[in-house]
Amino acid sequence: MKNNGIVLEFLRRPSAVIGLTILALQIIAVIFAPMIAPYSPIEADPFASLEAPSVAHWLGTDVSGMDIFSRIVYATRINLLISITAVIVAFAIGVPLGLLIGYYRGLLSATVMRLFDFIQSFPVFVLGMALVSVMGQEIWNVAIVLAVLFIPMFARLIRAEVLSLRERPFISAARCSGATDLAIMFRHILPNAMTPAIVQISISIGMAILLTAGLSFVGAGVRMPTPEWGLMVSIGAQQMILGVWWVALFPGLAIVLAVLCFALLGDAAREVADPTARRR
Amino acid sequence: MPLIQYWRVLPRPLRIVAGRLIMIVPQMFGVMLVTFLLVRLLPGDPALLMLGNMATEEQIIALREKLGLNLSVYEQFMQYAGNVMHGDLGVSPFTSNPVVVDLLERAPATLELITYAMLLTILIGVAFAVISVIRPKGAIDYGSRVYGLAAGAIPDFWVGLLLIYFFFYVLGWAPAPFGRVDALVTPPPTVTGFYTIDSLLAGDLNAFFSAVGRLLLPVLTLAIVNAGALMKMTKTVFADAYRSDFIRHQRACGLSERTIVRSALRNSLPPIITLVGFLFGFLLGAAVLVETIFSWGGLGQYAVQAVINSDYAALQGFVLVAAAFILVVYLVVDILYELADPRIKV
Repeated sequence: MKNNGIVLEFLRRPSAVIGLTILALQIIAVIFAPMIAPYSPIEADPFASLEAPSVAHWLGTDVSGMDIFSRIVYATRINLLISITAVIVAFAIGVPLGLLIGYYRGLLSATVMRLFDFIQSFPVFVLGMALVSVMGQEIWNVAIVLAVLFIPMFARLIRAEVLSLRERPFISAARCSGATDLAIMFRHILPNAMTPAIVQISISIGMAILLTAGLSFVGAGVRMPTPEWGLMVSIGAQQMILGVWWVALFPGLAIVLAVLCFALLGDAAREVADPTARRR
Repeated sequence: MPLIQYWRVLPRPLRIVAGRLIMIVPQMFGVMLVTFLLVRLLPGDPALLMLGNMATEEQIIALREKLGLNLSVYEQFMQYAGNVMHGDLGVSPFTSNPVVVDLLERAPATLELITYAMLLTILIGVAFAVISVIRPKGAIDYGSRVYGLAAGAIPDFWVGLLLIYFFFYVLGWAPAPFGRVDALVTPPPTVTGFYTIDSLLAGDLNAFFSAVGRLLLPVLTLAIVNAGALMKMTKTVFADAYRSDFIRHQRACGLSERTIVRSALRNSLPPIITLVGFLFGFLLGAAVLVETIFSWGGLGQYAVQAVINSDYAALQGFVLVAAAFILVVYLVVDILYELADPRIKV
């Protein structure tokens, strides 16, 4: 009953509706890519190089004659796969870690927090670029690196909640009635501490999409001929100066739409989760 | 005890600065640890990878010796830290210069870019935030809301490309996106390293206008993408100050709107200073992408080249310098924050 109310509350927001619509489009692109895309995403056609958008090629072709529309559709798979995997891994590691370092406040917890400080004192993009290049430019390495960069964020969010929750009377009550540390942490504290981290998931996926695209753009991410949005923009970058706009424009739009989708969903989720943080 | 008494006698600004300066030592140490571990992650022989394929047997043995690869990890780290503190970041096999020399040569280009981008970002972000708070539901309020949402979703490298297309290719207003001055203009003699300042010092107006023209698009790119975040956060902070009791009191006393806005801004200054510090970090990361597009020849482009060439000595050096730069920015930010908010006890 209560959950139904939250879902309805969420769906009443225009930002949630727009976000969900874009998300649905992306999911369709992911599942039905072979049926939607008129051409192969990795097959070059030297006779169709740099063709402007037309009936045959809806969004034109790039320098090696690959169909841009087909590549954008297929790239949804790679981009969402990397970003969502990275955020799920970061969430799965960051949440229990934050719970532990919030609940046990010993030397080890302090050390972990300092380690987070060090990781977060690097510009995210710079550290990501260095890590991917050192580990090898594979799709999975990009996801792992993004996960590592996001772990401190989730752990900090949970820790901040845990720190205030652990002093509350209901925790003392649980302890008095003989609950073990594990039971207190996972049954009593965690469910009450999850909300900010869950809201952060959606926003983090958007950030991950931007970072993935940026990494591929500078050549520290996915490699050709894999269809990936950032990589596609970088292929169009040289031609932009010569007035060939479609190669870089459309994959960029795909990035904007995808990030916007997760940002809108995140905003709506935050407003539902925390009614005091309504729009000003 | 006497030491503490000396401490208390010190003037407040001095206490703030001294307190913060002590903190930076362990932070720098941590940053060095991360960059050290970064290269330790390399699969295979770091010496071989750092020197590249052209290395001779003696070079590899020498570097292995220097990196201390046969020592324990702890001793290796101490050795690395020692090298860094002597300003030795290794030699880049691609430019065959010491990495420190390469970085110092390119740092002014990046600093000039992000300084101007920062100024424009603050100008746009704060101006829109203030206007949309004092004129709610107006065109600017509505526009800024859309902009705030969109700016967070737009990749900076894509904005840069669109700007090049419109302002260089279609309209022809902007100069070609290749480097910091026109190829036919000689760069001004180095004083500060900022072309805009150096050219004025040398009295070379030609070079000055060329440098300004080249700066326009990259600076605009960085500002468009980053001002959105600053605007959103400034709006929250400023709206709180603008609706607080002391502002209501000022208005009741009949002070002019101008004075009221100014004092509300003064009171929201400390959080804004913190945000600006964070923005420097974002800008440094974004500069990597934007420099690549505009062939800027700064630190960011050097780092991208290092990634493409698998030049790990250069990459490690860049990451270290970037983090050290951010630490110094945060240090300055913390000091300014405490100076701007007299309530904070030191």
